[in-house]
Amino acid sequence: MTEPEPTTTKMGRPVFEVEGASVTYDMDRGVSRVLDDATIDIFEEEILGVVGESGSGKSMFASSLLNAVPPPGTLDGEIRYHRDGEVIDLLGLSPEQLRRVRWEDVAMVFQGAQSSFNPTISIRRHFEETLEAHEYDIENGLEHARQLLADLYLDPERVLGSYPHELSGGMQQRALIALSLVLEPDVLVMDEPTAALDLLMQRSILSLLENVKEKYELTVVFITHDLPLVAGLADRLAVMYSFKFVEIGRAEDVFSNPKHPYTRALLNAIPNLDTPRSRMHPIEGSAPDPVNVPTGCSYHPRCPLADEQCEAAEPPLAETTDKHHAACYYWEEAMEEIELSIESDEPAVDDTVVGRQSDEPVVSVDAVDVHFEQGGGGLFGFFSDPDTVHAVDDANLEIYENDVVALVGESGCGKTTLGKAIIAAQRPTNGTVRYRGQDIWGTRDGRVDGEIPWEQIRRSLQMIHQDPGSSLNSHRKIKSSLEDPLRRWHPNMDPGDREERILGMLEYTGMSPPTDYALRYPHQLSGGEKQRVALIRALLMNPDVILADEAVSALDVSLRLEMMDLMLELQDAFDTSYVFISHNLSNARYFAGNADGRIGVMYLGELVELGPVDEVIDEPLHPYTKVLKWATDDMELSDRIEDPPIRGIDIPDPVNPPAGCRFHTRCPEARTVCREESPSLDEAVSAHPTACFREYPMEHPYWDSEPVDDAEETVTGDPIDAG
Amino acid sequence: MVNYYLARTAQALFTVFAVMTLAFGLIRLMPGGPMDFVRAQLQQEAGAVDQAQINAMVEVYTNVHPEQPLLDQYVDYMSGIMRGDLGVSMWYDRPVSEILAMALPWTVFVMTISLAFTFGIGISLGAAMAYAEGSRFDSISTLVSIFLNSIPYYVAAIVMVYFLGYESGMFPIGGRISSDVTPGLNIPFIASAFYHAALPIASFVITAFGIQALAMRGNSIRVLGEDYLRVAQLRGLPPHDIALRYIGRNAILPMYTGFMISIGFMFGGSVILEEIFAYPGVGFYMFRGIEARDYPLMMGAFILITVAVVIGVYVADLTYGKLDPRASTKGGDREAF
Ligand code: SF4
Ligand code: SF4
Repeated sequence: MTEPEPTTTKMGRPVFEVEGASVTYDMDRGVSRVLDDATIDIFEEEILGVVGESGSGKSMFASSLLNAVPPPGTLDGEIRYHRDGEVIDLLGLSPEQLRRVRWEDVAMVFQGAQSSFNPTISIRRHFEETLEAHEYDIENGLEHARQLLADLYLDPERVLGSYPHELSGGMQQRALIALSLVLEPDVLVMDEPTAALDLLMQRSILSLLENVKEKYELTVVFITHDLPLVAGLADRLAVMYSFKFVEIGRAEDVFSNPKHPYTRALLNAIPNLDTPRSRMHPIEGSAPDPVNVPTGCSYHPRCPLADEQCEAAEPPLAETTDKHHAACYYWEEAMEEIELSIESDEPAVDDTVVGRQSDEPVVSVDAVDVHFEQGGGGLFGFFSDPDTVHAVDDANLEIYENDVVALVGESGCGKTTLGKAIIAAQRPTNGTVRYRGQDIWGTRDGRVDGEIPWEQIRRSLQMIHQDPGSSLNSHRKIKSSLEDPLRRWHPNMDPGDREERILGMLEYTGMSPPTDYALRYPHQLSGGEKQRVALIRALLMNPDVILADEAVSALDVSLRLEMMDLMLELQDAFDTSYVFISHNLSNARYFAGNADGRIGVMYLGELVELGPVDEVIDEPLHPYTKVLKWATDDMELSDRIEDPPIRGIDIPDPVNPPAGCRFHTRCPEARTVCREESPSLDEAVSAHPTACFREYPMEHPYWDSEPVDDAEETVTGDPIDAG
Repeated sequence: MVNYYLARTAQALFTVFAVMTLAFGLIRLMPGGPMDFVRAQLQQEAGAVDQAQINAMVEVYTNVHPEQPLLDQYVDYMSGIMRGDLGVSMWYDRPVSEILAMALPWTVFVMTISLAFTFGIGISLGAAMAYAEGSRFDSISTLVSIFLNSIPYYVAAIVMVYFLGYESGMFPIGGRISSDVTPGLNIPFIASAFYHAALPIASFVITAFGIQALAMRGNSIRVLGEDYLRVAQLRGLPPHDIALRYIGRNAILPMYTGFMISIGFMFGGSVILEEIFAYPGVGFYMFRGIEARDYPLMMGAFILITVAVVIGVYVADLTYGKLDPRASTKGGDREAF
């Protein structure tokens, strides 16, 4: 096996030499090899992106770099760390030496920042105890910590004085990055550091990371499942499949000219904004089990090019062209035969999808506000002043039959609340929600005597959650979970028909043999399968509208397309409409675009732009939509990540939304008038409704008003809960 | 934060107030209730005295003036309690407040020591069990904990008073201290107090620590799997810091609910327990009150026990707010909006 060599002149010396590193766990079923013979060099001051789906061994690789494989796993092989010319054998250190290397030389950031902090001690204490444990000077150390926090666009004093739960997810993640850098390590290993955050925050953190890396001369190993996310950030990319590296090379090579069939398939499976929708394809088959890896090339069961040689012997990770390594016998063929969706020669035009929407809305939302009281409440609520959270303000929206509306926005922008208001799962504070013209909550309260009973309205409006597991009873078989809705809504259906219907649906959604799946318990299903069961359960009610709340976000990249395709297929069969909630503009585009639907962009409780998918994506009008597009637009491989086209990273507190245009604190186009007046959706003269003065008639005072001075605005948001 | 304390204080005061009102209601309004009973007794004893005199005596005993309008009676009764006037015990013929004031410290003494031991043993054992999860020690301790927890405390008490008290004479079978020590801060007095309280404390502790140990074991195992523990280890924190600040703190905090329940449970249990051990605490007098149909005593003890429980829970609650930053502020799951 040839070893990857330095790829560019910039990357002189290696910091890490990993040779044949393997991690194994002894299990009842056999030995589980969750990192298999990994060999790679990591060079000084580079950003190495390690890409793989869940269960590809990428986290094990990350832990190996700190010799911190979770027990009882064993790590073999060789990992050499270079510190100022000194070579340290990471696997041969005494516990005390290892304790020193960790965090002082090599630090790590984990995925869930919330769970990486001790919930009962303050952020400051986390910094202090780390400094104490390594005998650093506390005062200087805290000074450095303040600097780091400020570099990450946080207000140092405020963050240090907070408890973990008082910070938003994005702030926690940045505080965690600061914590990992407080001892000035050389190498920072980041294991899915942004996966739990919404796209805009991910991109913002990445652009900050780039600056921090330059400033503190770091080497960064960035582990992720999201190839496009790191493509612009990383210098080199390493792709993992089935616990091995299958492709390593310069980022631009791997991204635009991938050689391994898996990498190519992975790229084609990822929704993005540029690729014609018709050319994205899910990867067939499923990832291998660590106890039972296929012989030969472990990708052969899924590879379209596989032959006997592939099944018989494992292809080595060998250099193909200049500094680009791939573990495949047929990489040349792969480059020709597996076409990449982004570089296809065919004209990139989608067949125009013509929707079959009705003229009459099924659900119409009219001037709806949803406010939550935070604090107070209960018997003694009168003692405290409850804060009012403006989750949704003045929303107007109509959902037609066979419609798809995708609501996008950052965490906390109110998209879920509006979605719930649409399907009558959340009572609005003001305004009306109508189902086929009939006031839903009036019907509920008996104020309106409509023809449609409340029960029927409830049944017609269904929901599937982000986490399908939580909505299925773990102690009941799939069949009995699915029988409930039928029993409830069709009490006269005979048991034979009921069963047949359920089996039919399971079969239809690709869960065959259905008789086998029907008898399983939820924990025996994969995430994608659970999500399908949740979808079936919603569909069994024959609903008119289904709210899909981040329904695909928790799935692996390659499964997302599959799930969205299935949902669209079922729309045809069942005549339902979807309200699709996502923080990811590409998913929204794929989903709503394939049904000729609309995209609604939300910011701090307000709909700021609403229009046909292609218009919103290709020519976003609202500055916020442009920011979201920037956050999603990573399929174009730019050399450096630019700074975000936004003035603050954190979303302001929904308890006290900014006056005037709510976006003015972060809007790059904001002018003084935006601070006082708030734009509305329907006064704009643009192609589709946009709540921004820039789309108002030219006479609007916006154009004569001064741009706001950045110095007056704070860069950090204000989501700290004053409690 | 301030609002939280205010709300919590108001809640505590309201509970006490509600209990007192309830006590008044029971005394005054129940047909054939305490008032009638006291009256009947007085009439029997002193057949000749006239109605006015009887009313006056009823008033002294129950702290309720039967002649006045209901509202005035209520106000009088409540203000009486506030001043510490709980009526006069018919059985002992002494003011109830005096009797209870003598008894209360002893009950609190037994309760506090019992709670301390229950949680001390429960927490240490639970932590040890979690540390040795899956070992023989763990499974045996689990079995023993479950077994002991399934024994009612009064059964343990009777068994102990029989074998260790009557049969072997190793422990006293009644009283709070020996008659030959002088009360005060001297060693014989304290030793004697502990000696007399040993069996009541033991019967509580033996039957209660098991559930706490199991709870602690569960919490610790959960915390041992938390990410922040792994991060703390990677950050190189000394093991004892991790054990105390990370595992200990996060595992013990959720046991606070158990602690609150125990306060109530033990005070309630003191009624039976103190009777079994003839230990003159509040519970003992309450039992006597019930037995002798001595309503003023019974009600006084009832109010006192309730107030004690409310104060205990209140203090625990406020301290918890200090220990766990999440308790009194509302961490918002922002995506939920
Ligand atoms: S070695 Fe064979 S099976 Fe493996 S990726 Fe290459 S062509 Fe496919
Ligand atoms: S109204 Fe002003 S602040 Fe609001 S989005 Fe438009 S330009 Fe920006």
